[in-house]
Amino acid sequence: MLTQEEIAHATKVLGREPNETELAMLDVLWSEHCSYKSSKRWFHLFKTRGERVYLGIGEGAGLVDIGDGVLVGVAMESHNHPSQVDPYNGAATGVGGIIRDVISQGCKAVGLMNCLRFGHPSKPRNAYLLENVVRGISDYGNSVGIPMVGGELEFDDSYDGNCLVNVVCIGVVRPEKVVRSSARTPGHYLVMFGATTGRDGIAGVSFASETFSDEEEENRGAVQIGDPLAKKVVIDTLAQLVEENLLDGLQDFGGGGLTSCAGEMAANGGTGVVVEVEKVPLREPGMTATEIVISESQERMLAVVAPEKLERVLEILGENDTPHAVIGKVTDDGYYTVLENGEDRAQLPISLLVGGFPVPEREEGSLPPRSHGISWYEEPEDYASAIIELLGSVNIASRSWVYSQYDQHVQANTVVDIGDNAGVLEFPLNKRLAFTSDCNSFWTLLDPQQGTANSAAEALRNLVATGARPILIADCLNFGNPERPDSYAQFVEAVRGLGRFSHDFDLPIVGGNVSLYNESEVEGVVHRINPTPQIMIAGIYELGYSPIRRNLCTPWANIFLVGETLPELNGTEYQRLKLGEVRGFPPAYRPDAEKRAMTAMLEAHKAGLIRSCNNIGRGGLAVALMKMALYSKYGFKLNTETVPGTTETLGQALFSETSARYLAEVTETNQPQFLEIMAMYGVPVCELGLTVADRVADFGKFRVSLEKAVEAFETGLTKYLE
Amino acid sequence: MAIAVLRFPGTNNEQDVIRILNSIPGADPYLVPSRLGASALREADGVVIPGGFSYGDYIRAGAVAAVGEVIEGVKSLAEEGRPILGICNGFQILTECGLLPGVLLPNNSARFVCKWVYLRVSEEPTMFTDGLENAVLRIPIAHAEGNYYCSPENRSMLHAHSRIPFRYCDEEGNVTPESNPNGSIDNIAAVVNEEGNVMGMMPHPERAARAALGSTDGLPILENFVRGTKC
Repeated sequence: MLTQEEIAHATKVLGREPNETELAMLDVLWSEHCSYKSSKRWFHLFKTRGERVYLGIGEGAGLVDIGDGVLVGVAMESHNHPSQVDPYNGAATGVGGIIRDVISQGCKAVGLMNCLRFGHPSKPRNAYLLENVVRGISDYGNSVGIPMVGGELEFDDSYDGNCLVNVVCIGVVRPEKVVRSSARTPGHYLVMFGATTGRDGIAGVSFASETFSDEEEENRGAVQIGDPLAKKVVIDTLAQLVEENLLDGLQDFGGGGLTSCAGEMAANGGTGVVVEVEKVPLREPGMTATEIVISESQERMLAVVAPEKLERVLEILGENDTPHAVIGKVTDDGYYTVLENGEDRAQLPISLLVGGFPVPEREEGSLPPRSHGISWYEEPEDYASAIIELLGSVNIASRSWVYSQYDQHVQANTVVDIGDNAGVLEFPLNKRLAFTSDCNSFWTLLDPQQGTANSAAEALRNLVATGARPILIADCLNFGNPERPDSYAQFVEAVRGLGRFSHDFDLPIVGGNVSLYNESEVEGVVHRINPTPQIMIAGIYELGYSPIRRNLCTPWANIFLVGETLPELNGTEYQRLKLGEVRGFPPAYRPDAEKRAMTAMLEAHKAGLIRSCNNIGRGGLAVALMKMALYSKYGFKLNTETVPGTTETLGQALFSETSARYLAEVTETNQPQFLEIMAMYGVPVCELGLTVADRVADFGKFRVSLEKAVEAFETGLTKYLE
Repeated sequence: MAIAVLRFPGTNNEQDVIRILNSIPGADPYLVPSRLGASALREADGVVIPGGFSYGDYIRAGAVAAVGEVIEGVKSLAEEGRPILGICNGFQILTECGLLPGVLLPNNSARFVCKWVYLRVSEEPTMFTDGLENAVLRIPIAHAEGNYYCSPENRSMLHAHSRIPFRYCDEEGNVTPESNPNGSIDNIAAVVNEEGNVMGMMPHPERAARAALGSTDGLPILENFVRGTKC
């Protein structure tokens, strides 16, 4: 809701009291969700430019040039609050919204990703949320025919009252077909199409910009309902409009409905708009002007059309049988005017409506100090069972129950399915791109800045392990209430971390979204999510390069550990399992070591020296090794007594989550060249042992039964779901 | 040869199919939006009904598409002996409209399933499996309603007349309960009509037709289909 200060500011600028419709319009556009009023002031810390960046942050999707006239579009967004209240429709419309963001730039949508966070699935409510969120994404994404190429799933009690649903859409477009979210020319028509307007999702953005109370069920009417069939028709219709160059501007109806959609296009174009609400096709009678301009009904698009092209546009919309109408015009007066049968319902200066809010004060509190000590650590009595326990942890176990519900192959461009280090899609001209996402919310809880930078580094390693060179970042920053100093401090520190990473690795951030107020207050107690800066990175392969997978693929090859291991046990999955919580200083972000390891690994990939590869992340060296063997025809025989670095025990070496490390399978003949490259970049490397033709996981001092390991890995999550 | 690729509202595999057909010599695929009706099929030498979610699958998979006017055109071509191939939702439409026996029920998991599966090709030759007799193919599936079911009479008839070209199997080609991804009776993944010119299959051959995608096992099925249009 608007604050007293905001209403006073609007009254002062207008020179009169805003009426009911105007208040509703200001309320949605000045919501945190639409205005970024607490977050935008920090975005200067991000690297946003780069020679590949064709269109940066600010419109529906960022566009990045991958050469030879091929642009990749990326957008990322949250749909957390709706999914908590109505998981099926909330998640489905999250997917619907992100697809609209990408296609509204003229892109063909070619891939989807989803990053999910829930409370522990042993609680029935959380299992219910997970099952229905996945079903919502599955039903919607599968129906519209866009393959799922990646995702992430993490569980922690902090998400108990606030699940997170973050979605990514990837598109492709040629430069001459790009459509901008802008209304540049007065006299052009505003044409809406795709679906009718109803009362669903009224003021959804305002609801998403507050913390949950005990009465969350009442908000169900604020959740939109998706219609994938209508969306598929919109996708096909839009492809035709774009192909014939009929659009002068385009934006989808997202958060804030018609108010935000037309308002932002006028702001981008330096113009004004007049909207005649009685022309909007409705799905229910008796809607007021206010309801029509703030409704968030799904599957709607607003096009800016030049007069000479209007006839053809209407013809195509009619042929495709999609609801549509000319609802207004672009003007030169700088106002957003709402008319109902010729009578004024609202008249707001665009400069006030879009970004004209009074900037609120936010206080950055201090975060608790952390210790590097690991006095809690005890060497496990039985290494094998500790490893089995880790593989069965809900945060490591197989996610195939989730992924098998998503169509990963539609459009027939999927080179690598979900479940490996990165999903890989083929783009025009045989270009191949890899996509991955990451956020370790235990690291970010303990140190938002280091944890965020290091989560991004982990995503980077996912790509490098497959042989892809990272080229772009998108993010979705999920945090608690910015009006609380400690919560705001987490947010600001995380932005600093991501900013550092983007500059350190020269990777532009081209898309993103901020979701605040992910807290619930139950009986006076504030329950806040872990800081969750969800980071997505895409990478590109050298032309003709086949992505390297995780599974061991030759017997009698050497397994190398790349990078040094430090006794970084705080914030690890091992600590979480042993103590039931994380504490201390999480594994450090080490940009220098990370960069050297990345450069060396990419060079070894380019020379074709690596047969299979894994990066070391959650669960440490032990889990990374096991994952290479779980679904391979081969096994390994190792000597893990001497691992480069400063760990003091075998357990520390196996479970530390130190960054900048990889495992690489290299055949005997390629070994000298591989070692030479590692030495050239000063990357510590050690031969751990060999791959063998038998299905064994032999660590030297102990063995792990692969049969038990597979069972733990496969049932770790599903045991709570079936 | 002119191959009509049907698109109902909600069909979403039509471009994938057209792309692969274009790579097969002699195939001249063209898109037919269903609203154009049966007359748009007049010149067709064969028809593919691709996968997707026709009309959102809102009533029952394929049920609305099956009563569309354009289906009358498909039926006439089938009667003339032209090859008709229904993939995934296309298979569902072919059973719904009566060109193929049986029905496709919701998967026994009650969930959508997307995965790579192995298919055992029947040893009896059909137009679509020429040269593949007894082979084991690796092709992906992606469906919520792929659980093939039919009456006991139809079941014995399908077996007796060798009208089951593909059955789900394991990597070695053994047709086992574990390799059945959706609960289909007798692991049935595809059936053909009595004349042998209409086939419906749940797996997606067009998604296993380029080496970059990890398998080319689906390509010969589409090549056989194209060859069939020339007869």
